[in-house]
Amino acid sequence: MEYNTEIINQTEIEIVNKKEPGRVRKFFSFISNSKSVLIGGVIVLIIIICALFAPVISTHDPYEMQMSDRLLEPMEKGHLLGTDHYGRDLFSRIVYGARVSLKVGMVSVSLSLLIGVILGLVAGYYGGWLDSIIMRIVDIVLSFPVLLLAIALVAALGPGIENVIIALGLVYWTNYARIVRANVMSLKEEEFIQAARTIGSNDFRIIFFNILPNCLAPIIVVGTLGIGIAIVAEATLSFLGLGIQPPESSWGWTLAFGMKFIRDAPHLSIYPGLAIMITVLGFNLLGDGVRDLTDSKLKRK
Amino acid sequence: MMTFVGKRILHLIPVLLGISILVFFLLHLIPGDPAMTLLGQEATPEEINRLREVLGLNEPLYIQLLVFLKNLALGDLGTSIFQDVSVLSLILTHLPATLELATLALLIALLIAIPLGIVSAVKQFSWVDYVSMFFAQLGVSMPVFWLGVLLIIGFSVNLNIFPSFGRGEPLVESILMTIQSGNLFYIIDSLKHLILPALTLGVMSAAIITRMVRSSMLEILNEDYVRTAEAKGVRSFWIIMKHAFRNALIPVITIVGLQFGNLMGGAIVTETVFGWPGIGRLIITAISQRDFPVVQGCVLAIALLFAFINLIVDILYAVINPKIKSN
Amino acid sequence: MKKRNIFSKWLLCLGLLVLIVVAGCSYEDPESESAGSNSDQNEGEEAGSDNSTSNSKSSSNSVANKINVGLDVDAGTMDPRLSRDTSAKRVVEIVYDGLIRLNANLEPQPSLATDWENPDATTWIFTLREGVTFHDGEPFTAEDVKYTFDTILDPDFKAPYASLYKPIDSVEVIDETHVQFNLKEPYAPLLTYLDVGIIPKHVAEKGDSLSSNPIGTGPYKMIEWKKNSKITFEANKEYWGGEPTTGKIVYNIIPDNTTRVAALESGDIDFVHSPLSPQDISRIKANKDFKVVETQGLGFTYLNFNTEHEILSDVKVRQGIAHLINKEVISEDIYQNMDKPGKSPLIPASWAYSDEITGFEFDKEKAKKLFADAGWTDTNNDGVLDKNGKNLSITLSTHSEDPNRIQIVEYLQNVFTNNGIETEVLTNEWPTFSTSLMEGNFDIGLVGWLNLVGPDRSMYNQFHSESGSNYGGYDNARVDELLEEGRRVLDQSKRTEIYQEAAQIVTEEVAYDVLLYQGYIAMYNKDLQGFDIHPTGSLYGLKDAKITK
Repeated sequence: MEYNTEIINQTEIEIVNKKEPGRVRKFFSFISNSKSVLIGGVIVLIIIICALFAPVISTHDPYEMQMSDRLLEPMEKGHLLGTDHYGRDLFSRIVYGARVSLKVGMVSVSLSLLIGVILGLVAGYYGGWLDSIIMRIVDIVLSFPVLLLAIALVAALGPGIENVIIALGLVYWTNYARIVRANVMSLKEEEFIQAARTIGSNDFRIIFFNILPNCLAPIIVVGTLGIGIAIVAEATLSFLGLGIQPPESSWGWTLAFGMKFIRDAPHLSIYPGLAIMITVLGFNLLGDGVRDLTDSKLKRK
Repeated sequence: MMTFVGKRILHLIPVLLGISILVFFLLHLIPGDPAMTLLGQEATPEEINRLREVLGLNEPLYIQLLVFLKNLALGDLGTSIFQDVSVLSLILTHLPATLELATLALLIALLIAIPLGIVSAVKQFSWVDYVSMFFAQLGVSMPVFWLGVLLIIGFSVNLNIFPSFGRGEPLVESILMTIQSGNLFYIIDSLKHLILPALTLGVMSAAIITRMVRSSMLEILNEDYVRTAEAKGVRSFWIIMKHAFRNALIPVITIVGLQFGNLMGGAIVTETVFGWPGIGRLIITAISQRDFPVVQGCVLAIALLFAFINLIVDILYAVINPKIKSN
Repeated sequence: MKKRNIFSKWLLCLGLLVLIVVAGCSYEDPESESAGSNSDQNEGEEAGSDNSTSNSKSSSNSVANKINVGLDVDAGTMDPRLSRDTSAKRVVEIVYDGLIRLNANLEPQPSLATDWENPDATTWIFTLREGVTFHDGEPFTAEDVKYTFDTILDPDFKAPYASLYKPIDSVEVIDETHVQFNLKEPYAPLLTYLDVGIIPKHVAEKGDSLSSNPIGTGPYKMIEWKKNSKITFEANKEYWGGEPTTGKIVYNIIPDNTTRVAALESGDIDFVHSPLSPQDISRIKANKDFKVVETQGLGFTYLNFNTEHEILSDVKVRQGIAHLINKEVISEDIYQNMDKPGKSPLIPASWAYSDEITGFEFDKEKAKKLFADAGWTDTNNDGVLDKNGKNLSITLSTHSEDPNRIQIVEYLQNVFTNNGIETEVLTNEWPTFSTSLMEGNFDIGLVGWLNLVGPDRSMYNQFHSESGSNYGGYDNARVDELLEEGRRVLDQSKRTEIYQEAAQIVTEEVAYDVLLYQGYIAMYNKDLQGFDIHPTGSLYGLKDAKITK
């Protein structure tokens, strides 16, 4: 949920300080890192395929209700994972749910990135009063429990997937701003930037063509991790009754509603819960792995 | 040190002001107002309008904001529209419950995370390492409410070991009562109520801190002086404890400080699942009732607490690592 | 190394100390029955400081002297004149008495008033019970009754239910034990509404807030309110209706439905009452350790049609939609029969109820025909009905707090869509949703009414064209006339006819489609005896309940 956004930033700073590891260790860590990239990548790929080819993969129409077949157990009557409280096929709903959950994760992170990166670039590059103002805004947003801010935003914007995405995008940008700012501040003093400046490049050019490409790696890493966070946050909002609107259905919504049946039909909450867990796991492994890889590459330079 | 603390407090003022204004506008942006929720479904539009007048909700927004800020400057957080008691007293009754929960959650998190992190760093790439890293990944990918309900079903309903909801006597009070009466019931009862919600809340932090401890331990274990010590034949356990862990503690403390702040947020869900009478639930209820003064007061209280904890973390940081002070 | 040695010595000492302290301690639940001599010994020396917890022992060994009740939300203000939420109502029910109390058939029974008479249609005279005292020991008098109603009627007091008492012109004290209500016009439903708790004038006038320190005449006095945690009550030994059987009642606030029932199953609480999740009920019913009792409640859940909406203003469209609703499925599958299929705005618990007045049966063909009659057909074969190039599209809205209602809406959306109506769903938080209702900014809203103690309560505000709760802008002169007449006429059989005619009209014209009659369910520990479930959901009956082990 909102918790781990902080750590990402922190570990990021750690990594910058990391010393060159020993050769043997480096070899092992390379293997292990690529292993996590591999596992994470495969998981994420599978989820994306599920989302893209949902109509092919699903066994039933995810919206078709069959009240006589409510709450069937997994494997009963040809329903792989059973049915939900309207007799809809759970497996097909989870497959289709991948679309919504991925959309929530990816679009909201993109939105956060857009806000965070621009503000971070501006704050880091120009410094001074612009920096102070932007960092004060970051402080303000950070002193809220993030979830609370998201709740208030969804309440203000109204329910529905677009609004959930906007709300999550508006609350999770602070980390990106901080990371980008820190990177820009160190890059700013590098020779090649100074050189670009003496050639007479304007600020816009320097920011977007010289600085931005050089802080892409950490942005990609943190963004990847952020997708998992957003997916779990959406589930929490759904649990609090502030989620998407039917008939669309994310995993979070399915899980939150499945919780009402947890005693009699536990499969309704276990499978969407697993789907969330595996996906978040996939994105986290991928993000961690990519970070370590790019990190060692940078260091080798 | 004093100037440092003074500066931090000065910095806090614009942040708190910003928060107040942000919360104010956010609340007024949300449709529905306390007059309507207070009077309920059967009220007539005239009755609602009259109450709005009484509550000052018919004033222009900027006037309402100014009134709010003026009262705030005078230290008056206002009165709850729904409960008819002062917001301050509500905060004072609910915040300790959340603090107690968050503290224990953090304690549990540290108890899990530090040994796990150290062991998996020392035995890197062993099965212990893989298991603990798997746990660390799992912990962050599990929705809190799911874990909470599973724990209740497992430990309260099926095993009947822990109570399923609510809070015993406040922990501090129960300790005093136990000392006074010699009856262990009080403290054990309080702890029994605490354990499931604290575990629910603490697991995610445990996962994050485990990763942190592991990565900073790994780093230190690779430092030259540790290797030298190793080469000199100093027993490895003492190396870990004396050199490595102490140094690894620095980033861990930062994270712990940040986690504490974030635990306050996670408390919203945990408190709802477990019926814990904390500030998270107070806020959620107040938002759904549009009890503006309560929401504003609670958010400010949490923001202050955040700032306070971060200040302590920074001081601790300086104490543990004297290098920072000289900078 | 040295440092560490010293440290470990300290640790050892500390450990020993803790061990010694722990060894000297006992472990006794101060509230349990078996807390015998041991804890008395320990606490004897500090009796002064520990009085409150150790002295609450029951008289008998076989009876648990406490009932733990699980409630879903904390109470708001507990002043009976101001309270609106169910939890506050549950507090008021056992702390206060009204002039009357409704019995299980919703007939007014004597409470603080022992008798009443109507010299004429606009005068009511009540004889008050003598020798009743408030929890603070002060006697209850006619002045308290007058004060209670005077404040409710005072516009500045902003009592939420003031409109129910509007026809009261004045309340006069005749003598110590008689009060007279003078009405502006004949007002038949008055008596049913007089169950509002009578508050002590002497406390209220002192300016003490009754909202968090209720003082009534009822069977229990509140002794502690831990906000968002629990509310504790102690039996009022001087209760005029006899001393309650159980010494203590605790209302525990457990917001999550799943947790609340889990708490019952684990034995942490003894008693839960609706609102409950339907899916928990069958499981508890199957469990021998618990008793489940059900009754018809005093509420219905309905679809409110916005009769001013450009599509829905056509009565044929509304009737067509009503034909698409399978109330049996909603009742059985979503509510597990906890709520029964509804028929009209008259609820079965009411004396005015008639089985004859029914809505529209589930029949897709009839619906299709009605839509066609209204001009809506699928001309372009896209599966959506249209008329003059416009799709038949509506929004179904409800509030997000009630998962069962969200389920209804999701189910109906599916049925409507399959039958050619483009249907969108909108679930908002209650304050947002109710704002849109009041502003008439909705198409079809799924809502409910509670506390429908009489037909006036379930129809006047809802269907009278001048009323504030007529969200859908329903306007029918005949219905207005009937509803006004129903308030004037005192004869019950005549009133029955009047309300049945009105109910027939509004049902026929689908101002409302009443989907469900709400049922109340109480689930409790099988050892709890003597509780009678009440259609108002009142927990007053707990005064005669006890847990025998």
